[in-house]
Amino acid sequence: MIVLFRSFTTGRLGAVVAFNAQNYIRVFTDPEILPMINNSILYAAGSAALGTGLGAMLAWIVARTNTPGRALVELMPLYPILMPPIMKNIAWILLLAPKSGILNGFLRENFGIQQLVFNAFTLPAMIWVFGLACVPLGYLFLLPVFLSFDPSLEESAYISGSKPMGTMLRITFPLAFPAFLSAFVLNFLRGLRSFETPVLQGSPGGINVFVAKVYDSMSVEYNPGLATAYSAVLIVLSVLALLFYVRATRFSERYATITGKGYRVKIIDIGKWKYAAFLAVFTYFLVGIAIPFVVLIVVSLIPYYDYDTFMTFPANIVLSNYRRVIHHPSFVSGLYNSLILSVIIAVVTVLSGIIMAFTIYRTKVYGGKVFEFIGTMPLAFPPLVLSLGLVIAVIGTPLYNTLWALGLGLFIAYFPYALRNASGAIVNIHKELDEAAWVHGARWRHVFFQVTLPLLKPTVAGALFYIFIEAIRNIDVAVLLVAPGNEYGPVTLFEYFRVGQWAEAAAGGVIYLIILILSVSIAKFVFKIKFSL
Amino acid sequence: MVQRTSRRLALATIVLSVVLSFGGAALGASAPSDPFSKVSSELYAKAKQEGELVVYSVWDVEHIVAILGAFSKRYPGIKTNYWQGRNPEIVTRVVTEFQAGRASVDAILSDNAPPVIRAAGAIAPYETVQKDFLLLHDPTMPVVSLQIQALVYNTKKLKPADLPKGWEDVTNPKYKGNVALDDPMRAGPLSTQLAAFKDLWKDDARFARFVRGLKALGVPVHKSTSAMFRLLISGEYAVGEPALLHDVVEEKEKGSPIDLVKTAPPIVFPRYAGIYAKAAHPNAARLLAEWLISKEGQATLDSVGREASRKGFQSKTSIEHAYPKGTKAIAVNDKTFLEDPKKWLDTNVKPLWEG
Repeated sequence: MIVLFRSFTTGRLGAVVAFNAQNYIRVFTDPEILPMINNSILYAAGSAALGTGLGAMLAWIVARTNTPGRALVELMPLYPILMPPIMKNIAWILLLAPKSGILNGFLRENFGIQQLVFNAFTLPAMIWVFGLACVPLGYLFLLPVFLSFDPSLEESAYISGSKPMGTMLRITFPLAFPAFLSAFVLNFLRGLRSFETPVLQGSPGGINVFVAKVYDSMSVEYNPGLATAYSAVLIVLSVLALLFYVRATRFSERYATITGKGYRVKIIDIGKWKYAAFLAVFTYFLVGIAIPFVVLIVVSLIPYYDYDTFMTFPANIVLSNYRRVIHHPSFVSGLYNSLILSVIIAVVTVLSGIIMAFTIYRTKVYGGKVFEFIGTMPLAFPPLVLSLGLVIAVIGTPLYNTLWALGLGLFIAYFPYALRNASGAIVNIHKELDEAAWVHGARWRHVFFQVTLPLLKPTVAGALFYIFIEAIRNIDVAVLLVAPGNEYGPVTLFEYFRVGQWAEAAAGGVIYLIILILSVSIAKFVFKIKFSL
Repeated sequence: MVQRTSRRLALATIVLSVVLSFGGAALGASAPSDPFSKVSSELYAKAKQEGELVVYSVWDVEHIVAILGAFSKRYPGIKTNYWQGRNPEIVTRVVTEFQAGRASVDAILSDNAPPVIRAAGAIAPYETVQKDFLLLHDPTMPVVSLQIQALVYNTKKLKPADLPKGWEDVTNPKYKGNVALDDPMRAGPLSTQLAAFKDLWKDDARFARFVRGLKALGVPVHKSTSAMFRLLISGEYAVGEPALLHDVVEEKEKGSPIDLVKTAPPIVFPRYAGIYAKAAHPNAARLLAEWLISKEGQATLDSVGREASRKGFQSKTSIEHAYPKGTKAIAVNDKTFLEDPKKWLDTNVKPLWEG
């Protein structure tokens, strides 16, 4: 509300001159916005479709098929989550840059192909890179749904003569539609407001997206009111996306796959396709993390990047980038603070999201859908605008410049993920399970804690994992809320990305990934976290 | 109240006195006696009573920590804290705190942010006692360091004979497709450079020819100067328009194939230590600003690779060291650009770039 109020104020640097619609007049008479919105929608929808589709496919392979090497297959789609999108951006730019990229260089040197086959600075390349960053969310949203499927629906199809692939296309995927749409909408909204891929890959190719207007309003004009008015366009697009979701899932009972009738996961024998499925998962593992990670490891160990220097590796190894990162003054303190806060934020946010989703879909609270819209709205705001709104909200209170304000900011920023995740999953649980409890005299808390929550276990684990990973690397929303002297976030590792020192950033990224893999593995072992029932 | 303060500051800063005397003038003979020792003891006594100093800065955390560490060692009893953000984040945070009456910060160390914050009335004017030693002087905000822009090229992609002779030569069609260009409409280094040229040339036709010449290159424009610089090193481009001198020096030390076009004069932009108008520890902030300009402070800045603002201070990032003797730097001192870059760009660049 505070942020929206600012959009109706004119003046510069927050010095309010008048309360009027001047900012909106500027926005809607701006001749540049239509092509920019067009680019934004193409980019966001393309990335969301690629990422969510691939995520759903991987989740189905892992949860429901007899693909060989199960232990490995289960883990492979998870690792790319640990790699921040900007690291992928940099790695893919180094791979796909027209003149200096590794792939074009390789084709030129080894096959004499002078034509520039790959180009990192095109819309398809932007969709490819951000789409890969959208896969984990699709995977984590769909995996619990496929793991908690009522097999009788598929068995009916088999009895009627349907083959495994046909059953998957006609029965399994349509029933996972709410969770798919939930992940798609989230990824679409992430795409609409994402800035790193458009800045690093879009602007050199002349592809300007709408969110650049918001950032220019803040960074060139220092006009938060105008930035917020531009953000209102994103809010409208977000509301439309949510309306689409709500309408598409309005008969939620149709999608309930967890019922009182039966509950066991059936593994489908997909015959020789199981090898193709393994190959698909492995290919995703390669492009999702292995190849970009190897590129970053090499870049972190060479003095500077160009094609010749890259190909000379390992004869030219230097360790100076690692030394610099490890000796960074906020390396330990920043990491420690963000680890603690991210765990707390993940737990609180996920529980709150489930409670709100339960209230919306399982109780008769008036205006439940409105809560769903409000709960998802923070996702429509670009991080700096959201951060400013939060600062204005708390600046007059004792919370300002405390860890509480930072915690509140992170909670608001990640609540939409928790809510959308829980909504998609609750829709898949048939109401008859709740009703059975109600009939036996249970109160809402019994229904919630003893029926719904246990059934949401894999969803909870996935959401906790995802929000923890996102929160620990958050810089943009947190930046205005961090008190002087309080290190937060892996500043060491991400500062280098911010200032564009790619070799140090790559070294930091490698260290960061190792720490994350270790901490997630320890947490998985100590707390026995499972993504399955 | 805000507007009144703004007007007062605007009047106080109508003239940005620019004193340029590059070319290796020795500090000794012509320089006045160092007033730093007197003012620092007075400020230190008061700052010690304040006991604390909070700095907001755009500089790398490593640099801020090293600088504040050296300051604390020099002046025990003053506890230092910092917050680091980008320029838009610094402006947003300081102005919001100022309007809420918060005394959260004392000094702002940055380049683009302080003039904008000053325009909002949130900077307390302070003129350094060491102004005679400075290459660039602003009577309301001590200039503690410089941002020096350079024309650069990839040594593997371009032979010395093919180098552009100066900034305007970059528009030569032979460089088409090989120039890495910063977005001139985003208030980044290229727009800063354009503000300097417009002011220096005082020739609208020449300025228009230059901007249209850049546009005619038909090359991609970058919104991230640092990413652009990396692509220049990688060989994606042959010429970089522009890069920062300290980045070039650092990369050359690593062996990167990058060098300066030494015939293109550098463009200098002040890095300020602005004193916050509602600072809880104003004397500590002034002491930091004065110490940073002193020889000891400049040496600390140099140790982290930041350019010195003091005349005759020899360092690896000084113009005297990087460029031939007698090179005259071009200063950015257009007040409209400094305080309202969007307005300046819309008036002077947009019609040429987008027209």
